[in-house]
This record gives sequence, structure tokens and C-alpha cells, in this order.
Amino acid sequence: MADFIEQIESLRGQERRVAMATLVAARGGSPRPLGAKMFVGEGGRLLGSVSIGGCVDARVVEEGERLLRENRAQRVTVTVDDVEAIELGLNCGAEFDLLIEPVRLDGPDPAVAAYEEATRISRSGRAAFVVTTQEGNDAPGRLVLPDACDVVTAGGFVERIAPADTLVLVGASDVAAALARFATALGMRVVVVDGRERYATRARFGSAAELLVGMPSELVRPHLTAGAFLVLAAHDYKYELPVLRDALRSPVRYVGMLAGRKRADGVRALLRDDGLTEAELGRLHAPIGLDIGGREPEEIALSIAAQLVAVREGKPIARR
Amino acid sequence: MTTVYGATVLEHFRRPRNQRRLERPTVAHEGYNPLCGDRVRVELEIDDGAVRNAAFTANACAICTAAASLLTVQITGASTREASLLSDAAMLAALGGELPPARLACATLPLRAMRTALAALPAPA
Repeated sequence: MADFIEQIESLRGQERRVAMATLVAARGGSPRPLGAKMFVGEGGRLLGSVSIGGCVDARVVEEGERLLRENRAQRVTVTVDDVEAIELGLNCGAEFDLLIEPVRLDGPDPAVAAYEEATRISRSGRAAFVVTTQEGNDAPGRLVLPDACDVVTAGGFVERIAPADTLVLVGASDVAAALARFATALGMRVVVVDGRERYATRARFGSAAELLVGMPSELVRPHLTAGAFLVLAAHDYKYELPVLRDALRSPVRYVGMLAGRKRADGVRALLRDDGLTEAELGRLHAPIGLDIGGREPEEIALSIAAQLVAVREGKPIARR
Repeated sequence: MTTVYGATVLEHFRRPRNQRRLERPTVAHEGYNPLCGDRVRVELEIDDGAVRNAAFTANACAICTAAASLLTVQITGASTREASLLSDAAMLAALGGELPPARLACATLPLRAMRTALAALPAPA
């Protein structure tokens, strides 16, 4: 999940203009959140989606190309009413409102500038709000607000551009390397921590935002913030114990540790001796990940990534 | 049955002494083993040629953590010369147990960190 600037940069130089479609309302359920975007390039390139593919995105391509030709913005309603699908019982019965507008990539564009500003704010660790107003065929107007309090009076369609979730990986193992790749693709900001410089390398962690080598328990501490995810992938008590002593008492959102049940119980017992409470120990996900039966680093990383997504989406997690 | 962890190692690993940061260390050094990843920082407060306070921070195995703990106990109050003369053999003997050759580097890492820290002291006039 690339952010807006990354998406635009991947298109710039290849497309002069694109139709930007933003999901502004959904009735009957939507697989994507409001604000989801799809870009339809003048030269035919596609990026992003406002649904999960299928007939809705196909309509966006069609409408996007039309509005690029007409050089105007329009709020378009897409109803999933394919007769054949209805007869087969395969229709989802949803209806989507999309704001589709041409934006320039070969020069200044107010819509691009607004989202770029909001993205820069979110990259600094704060949420930003983009308020879009649009009447008839007029070009949409946009306001970027760094404070939620101002949004109430602004009206229009409001998008919250949240900072990326941070995933802190302690232990630059092969599982961590695979998980860093998955997490980056999921839009997370990955911080890798290890005491060994031969492991925590840019060659192994190309997508990581930060590679930190030193005393892991000290390097991790500034990242133990509310909303952050922490995964101990070292499989070594020398890092696990000192990091967990702090992490399980911090506001961090998720703490998981790569360990079999027996070793995990052993780590819990040592931490209990150190004075951690049952409530604190209960925050530790170990064994980590969803039980999908994989054994290779990528398979284990996939099971962990799936658990992180479930936590992010507020789904209940069965303890293993 | 031989055991890697003698009673001293277990005692100092589970209840390490002087595991903290010093507010104003005179010298400090962080040593690490690039292969196993043991890291230990030894901090010393030196006053009038003697070690007034010694403390350590470790993300390290039980042997290394115990050795750091034991080291700080042994050198507190000692002269810097006495501390610098503390030998690997003396440390291994103090730890007890039957350390395999592969773990000797763990046991002596804090000692090496301390020696490097002391080497940064200005030579006496």
C-alpha cells in the first residue's frame, strides 16, 4: 500500500494526465475504505483500485477515460446491477459514489498538491485531513487541515490521511527479512533492530525505513509508542528478555515473539520472576502468527503479517 | 553431570548486580560479539585512581550477563590498576561451572569492555 506521493511518483514521467477516482460513498458494503483511489492514465496505465477489481474498477476505467477526454470532474455513481450476475446470485448489491477528476502530472495541479501536503504531514507522524468540496461539474476544491478540530466546520468529504503504522522488528533474521517485505507492502513503516551489523544490513532489509544496530533494548525504547507493532524475531532470549521487560509495560499496540509454546512459556516464567504481572504477560503473542502450518521463513512471515492485519482491523485473535 | 551454568552464573544472571546506567561515568565502553550478538556496556566512575562505581547494561546471554555483574562487584572499590590486571582466568574461575571453549568469549566480553574503557583514562602524571 504505497502512499499518495509514492503512487504519484510512480506515474509521473509516464503519464501527462490521469483521472483520479476517489471512493466518496458506499451503500451496501465496500471492500475498500472511503478515500480509496484509482488512477487511470491518459496513456492507459492503471494504478490502485476503489474496489477489489471486477466490474466496479472496470467502470472507473471507462468513466475515467471519458472524463479525461471531456477534461472535467464528475461525481459518478456505480451500481453493481449486472443482470447476469443477479440471475446467477453473484451480485454483491453494492452502490458506490466516486469523484473522478482529471489531474495533471506534468505540471502543478491543486489536487495533487493537496494530497502531497497531507501525505507529508502524515509522514511526519501526524494525521492530516483533506476536505473536498465539489458542486456539479466544477473542479473540486480542497482544504488540507492538520487538526481534526477544524474538520467539523469544514463540511464536504473528509479523508483522514493517517501516519503509517510502525512495525519494529527485533532480530534481523530471515523471518524478519521476509516480514519486512510483507509489512512494507501492507503500508507499514518498518524499523529493524539488532545487535549484529552483519545481519541488519540494507541488502537484507531493502524496504526498511530504519536499520538500527546497537543495544536492542535501548534502540527499541523510543519506538514503544501507542499504535506501534513489535515483533521479536531474534529467537534469542538475550534480546527478548530485556526488550519485553519494557515493551509489555509500554502502550505499544501489539507484541509478538517468534517461539514455540514451550520456549514461550519459559520466557514468560523468567519475566514473571522479574515482576511482570499476568496482565502484562497476557499481552504477549507467542507463538506468534496465525496457524497456517508453514515452516519456511516466508511462510512464517506470512502468518505473522496476517495476524498484524487482523489486529489492525480489530479482529479477535485466537491464542495459540 | 557437568553444567555450563554454575550456581554463580545462575545467581548473577537472575539477580544481576549493578545493572543500570551511571549518571556521570568517567569512562565507558560497549563491547559486542559480532557473531552471537552479545552486547554489554561497562560504565565506570573513577575517583582518585579508584573505581568508585561500576555498572553495566547488557543484551547478552546468561554467561555474559553474569560475568558483567560479577565484574562490577569485583572492581568496585579497587584501584584502576588492580581492575586492569584482572585476568580472564580469574574471571572464569569466579564464574565456576564448566564453560565450553565456544563460550569463553561470552565470559570475557565484559572484562574486555572494561579494559578498553580504562585504556581511555589519561595516563597518571
